[in-house]
Amino acid sequence: MGALPNEVVSFQGVDKVYNTGTVALSQFDLSIKEGEFVSFLGPSGCGKSTALRMVAGLGEATEGKVEVFGQNPKAVIKHSNDIAFVFQEANLLPWRTVLDNVLLPLELRGLDKVKRKEFAISVLEMVGLKDYLKAYPRQLSGGMKMRASIARALAAKPKMLLMDEPFAALDEMTRQTLQMDLLDIWKRENTTILFVTHNVYEAVYLSSRIAVMSARPGRLSTVIEVDLPYPRDRVNRKFTEYVDKASQSLEHSMGRKEWGE
Amino acid sequence: MTVQTAATKNNTIITESAQRAKGTKTGRRKGKLIGPMIAFVVFMGIWQLVPTILGIKPFILPKPTDVLNAAIQDWDLLWQAIQITMTESVIGFILSAVLGIGVSILLASSKIVEISLYPYAVILQTIPVVAIAPIVVIWFGSGFNSIVMIAFLIGFFPVVSNTLMGLNSVDKNMGDLFTLYHASKWQTMWKLRIPAAMPYIMSGLKVSCTLAIVGAITGEYIAGIGGGKGGLGYAITVAAVQLKTSYLFACAISGAIFGISFYLLVSLFSRFMLSSWHESAMKVEK
Repeated sequence: MGALPNEVVSFQGVDKVYNTGTVALSQFDLSIKEGEFVSFLGPSGCGKSTALRMVAGLGEATEGKVEVFGQNPKAVIKHSNDIAFVFQEANLLPWRTVLDNVLLPLELRGLDKVKRKEFAISVLEMVGLKDYLKAYPRQLSGGMKMRASIARALAAKPKMLLMDEPFAALDEMTRQTLQMDLLDIWKRENTTILFVTHNVYEAVYLSSRIAVMSARPGRLSTVIEVDLPYPRDRVNRKFTEYVDKASQSLEHSMGRKEWGE
Repeated sequence: MTVQTAATKNNTIITESAQRAKGTKTGRRKGKLIGPMIAFVVFMGIWQLVPTILGIKPFILPKPTDVLNAAIQDWDLLWQAIQITMTESVIGFILSAVLGIGVSILLASSKIVEISLYPYAVILQTIPVVAIAPIVVIWFGSGFNSIVMIAFLIGFFPVVSNTLMGLNSVDKNMGDLFTLYHASKWQTMWKLRIPAAMPYIMSGLKVSCTLAIVGAITGEYIAGIGGGKGGLGYAITVAAVQLKTSYLFACAISGAIFGISFYLLVSLFSRFMLSSWHESAMKVEK
């Protein structure tokens, strides 16, 4: 199967079975085009993080094939900075300042020192941490840590940003601000974003497409195209309709009997 | 703009709580100082009074004043013994620190070697080094070299097991991050595993610095002086034989004071190394 035009990620009949016998993904098919914002929405245990990690080359499919930019993800991370990953925890190195944390990917790739510093500072400015270059992670709030983590991901100028429930641990206010800022970055940098979440509102607010998944085994149950202009209004009637639609498919994918659990 | 305000607010909160913490801390610190000081004076008083009242002979239990007198009288001898023990334990400690950390890094850099040897590194820590000390004397001869060797051996294993544990304590996500940027094995070692292991290494060093002194003094018991001048351990044996109990106490107390100072010095170094990040080294306590 040849790559479709503009296709950046493709899952082709992907199965993932862990050593423990847990089936994390089963017959997973999805194609993602350049510049899309795709959310993976589903209950815990539906394999959404597993799928994301495979795109980053941090796990291999048991069956089927995952391709990124038409190549094996492992080859992509070996030869380029095209993929960046943002984890649920900010994952900053506590012994490095914010600036040094953001410099880490550039340092590991052996890029020019002066240039990389200038660029890192400009990225930190973009995420609103310009005044905290010399601060240590422990001096930052949860939201600021996540900003630094996003800055680190952007520092290597990736073509694709993978985010694994990055805002799940933050309070609602911080989360909404970061969501807005993330959309700004997405527009400005023209990246493709793959975003794992279990929050329906978050998925509808951010994504151009939502891949709703079901659990045990992890399957793709529906894909919802969110046809709303950005920036989106959270109290708009159409927004609510999409939230309902996503909630319904989520509910459907989980099976009603599980609600009692 | 929103970020700015949020940040400033946050900042003020941090300073406020820091100030509050400071306030209570000075109060608590006063209590922390006075309590032990009173306990010390009371203890010394009892120690001074009991032998006098019960008429215990100084060679059985010397009074604090006897010990002090003995220390002043034989200060030249005592100071020389302290210096020798200090040299032996410091060299032993530095050897165990450098070799311990180095060996651990080499072990940890190969998955296979590490998996095969790690359990032994943990078990080796429990070897009673004192029990094998006579072999060290057979191999290295009596005197200084053997004593340093024993001080080194006794402090070596805690450093190894702590460092190895630290090098393997790296958070999985951090490891993934380094994989994602295709970091080489040595980049991961220098930029992630060693810094992450720092708190473990430091606690290993703290254990090993006190053990090095124990090693040096027991080493002196076993290895003798070998023609050179004796340290505290040797002085203690001699004092015991001659029933110079006051001088024996003076030697033991000097050893303790040296031990505490050495430990404090290493703690200070560890605090400095971890100052930028680790909670245990942070000044503001919860």
